[in-house]
Amino acid sequence: MELLSNLALGFSVALTPWNMLFAFIGAMVGTLIGVLPGIGPIATIAMLLPLTFHLEPTAGLIMLAGIFYGAQYGGSTSAILINLPGETSSVVTTIDGHQMALQGRAGAALAAAALASFFAGCVSTALIATFAPPLARLGQSFGSPEYFSLMVLGLIAAVVLAHGSVIKAVAMIVLGLLLGLVGTDGNTGGQRFTFGLNDLADGLDVATLAIGLFGISEIMANLAQRESSRDVVAKKITRLWPTADDFRRGWPAVLRGTGLGAVLGVLPGGGATLSSFAAYALEKRVSNRPEMFGRGAIEGVAAPEAANNAGAQSSFIPMLTLGIPGNPVMALMIGALMIHGIQPGPQIMTERPQMFWGMVASMWVGNLMLVIINLPLIGFWVQLLKVPYRFLYLAILLFCGIGVYTVSNSPAAVVIAAVFGLLGFVFQRLNCEPAPLILGFVLGPLMEENLRRALRVSGGDPMIFLNRPISLGLLITAAILLLIVALPAIRSTREQAFQE
Amino acid sequence: MKRTVLALLSAASIAVTGLAVTGMAARAQDKYPSKPVKIIVPYAPGGATDIVARVIGEHMRQDLGQSFVVENKPGAFGIIAIEEMARAKPDGYTVMIGNVSTNAITPVLFPKKFKIDYEKDVVPVTRLVDIPEFMVATTKDFPPTNVKDLVDFAKKNPGKVRYGSVGVGSYPHYDAALFAKRAGDLDMIAIHNKAGASGVINDLVSGDTQFSFLNVASTAPMVKAGNLRAMALVNHTRLPEYPDVATMQELGFPGVGTIAWQALFAPAGTPPEVLDTLFKAAVKAMQAPAVQEAFKKQNFNIVPNTSIADAKTWLADEMATWRKITNEVKIELSE
Repeated sequence: MELLSNLALGFSVALTPWNMLFAFIGAMVGTLIGVLPGIGPIATIAMLLPLTFHLEPTAGLIMLAGIFYGAQYGGSTSAILINLPGETSSVVTTIDGHQMALQGRAGAALAAAALASFFAGCVSTALIATFAPPLARLGQSFGSPEYFSLMVLGLIAAVVLAHGSVIKAVAMIVLGLLLGLVGTDGNTGGQRFTFGLNDLADGLDVATLAIGLFGISEIMANLAQRESSRDVVAKKITRLWPTADDFRRGWPAVLRGTGLGAVLGVLPGGGATLSSFAAYALEKRVSNRPEMFGRGAIEGVAAPEAANNAGAQSSFIPMLTLGIPGNPVMALMIGALMIHGIQPGPQIMTERPQMFWGMVASMWVGNLMLVIINLPLIGFWVQLLKVPYRFLYLAILLFCGIGVYTVSNSPAAVVIAAVFGLLGFVFQRLNCEPAPLILGFVLGPLMEENLRRALRVSGGDPMIFLNRPISLGLLITAAILLLIVALPAIRSTREQAFQE
Repeated sequence: MKRTVLALLSAASIAVTGLAVTGMAARAQDKYPSKPVKIIVPYAPGGATDIVARVIGEHMRQDLGQSFVVENKPGAFGIIAIEEMARAKPDGYTVMIGNVSTNAITPVLFPKKFKIDYEKDVVPVTRLVDIPEFMVATTKDFPPTNVKDLVDFAKKNPGKVRYGSVGVGSYPHYDAALFAKRAGDLDMIAIHNKAGASGVINDLVSGDTQFSFLNVASTAPMVKAGNLRAMALVNHTRLPEYPDVATMQELGFPGVGTIAWQALFAPAGTPPEVLDTLFKAAVKAMQAPAVQEAFKKQNFNIVPNTSIADAKTWLADEMATWRKITNEVKIELSE
């Protein structure tokens, strides 16, 4: 009952014309920057922050939140159409989404992504409304041993991501882990693999890496092809809407992705990205046609898209209820609130119920707007593919360059992206998938940091990972997964899982 | 609603001023500022330094009629930002807002990493704010409730008490290490978290660490919620909101803990009259009621210098203090 009255209060705030206008502006801007590779919500929100000085805090927050989840919608568009993830959280969407586009089913993939995101957005908003306090406490019970075990599980699950050679997938994950080591060592302050360059002192940036490995290398691969075969995408577009079979297969995938995303999003440190990878791995595991993954399976688009949107939304929980930002965007939101002298934290729901519930309700409104904005745009995006590639690639390259530069306003980042573009091209020629590398890169540093922290806490005793129940549970799950992959007796199932 | 109208109006007026300025640029060359000013911030968007820069920059724009554009140049303990500022043309169109870490501790600890001479090439314009700090302890499985008990507990349990820090050689690290030394060479373990204050708070709440020195603005929500306990305050005076939390000074630890400041810097060759314009505009921005109110709610102290000469003396003192601290507490750092 209390929930209903809270939501009624929230909608009374969110549905005022001014707040709806700002939800719409946020959703629209978010979609646009999501589509443009590399220009992420962080830079955009930072630029718009001074504008919120003059806004009423609720309206400002609604707009900034709209930009954030709008970008999750938009990020999948470029991932599907040109194999270039607009956001890190849509990296996995490239695997099957772009395959669908190559088969002339770009419209279906885009629609699946938009609908999955919408569904996940609605459900996770309801979850925030119902479970914000207990979910926040779950995040608090995660100490370093629990994080380490979660990362182990994540990495082992990642092997399933690969289609093709397992050895190559493992090699790419390890390479990702190694790249994650670059930078200042957390415990000693020592420089690792920085070659004395200040630009590398804080390590490599994941957006820079992703744009190089996916975007720039894709352009090189396309240019290496003959012109006639290159424009094949544009010629075969059949229909814009998913088939009945797509809906039947996509539906359960969306449900699983939403659940996974909502839970992982609560955890600090790239919840949305991790959840999209995890959702993909899970779908491939439970599917009755794992051989289709990597060849345009609709589940491979629907599940991660649902997961990243659910994760984006549930990452608001620790920010609002604990005042702890789980990612840089949430840190900016806290900054926006600080300007108005508002302290996010456990009291925010009682002290400022209108703002809290108004923002929760605005997410529903914003998600609805996003689906209304995005579905008609599908036809337009697909038309874009008809632009001859020799013009299109210049625009893509330009936006990649701008995007990489704005991450930290650093020219060095553009050079680094170019280097990884070249590397990505080599990987493509060797049939090595870059997605596991990104996952290794994201999870590796977190895993290392938490491993070392846990061992410092325990005084060097590794039993700390087995003595804590949550950590133990995660490790047992990881061990079971490993057994499934490794046991020769069930090799046949594994072969099936990895068959290309 | 009224404020929204105002926001749209001011956005429109920025656009119009922008157009007008381009038209008049040729005539206005002689008067500083005649084009947008770049404020370099050595951190990613969202932290305290970034917010202070954006708030102050917005009010300096209102005063001087030119945009103050914040450009975030994070990395290498602030060296990337400081070097970019110091090498820019010293005409007042490139300035920097840095803090105690980037603009005092980094030059003291890593002089060799700079390709410039920090003390010669950079001048302070004015200190802006300083931010009080709590010594907070976790309430999860940790018996001590005050500083004295904490000292006794640490003496009885050598190597068992862990404190949180945001990195090797960061000021929360030095604060806790100096505290340990002055309290009688306590044997405690530093646990670093690269994720900044939010990471350290997470470690405290989950029980990975037991205490830490962290700014009041970040820790206040968890203190109010009872997950953290404010054992002592590092500030000029007690805070009205927390009348029972004594300062480190009162508890017999003068000079332990950092009141982290933020300040405006410029390249050393900047003309004196330009520095003067910047100084006056920054001081005026901090007197704006909206700024006073927002900073007060976060417990930021507004502490401008009285003149540019005063700012120079202050920065020199500040660096001397950090030289002393880093000599008293030896933290092993790899160059």
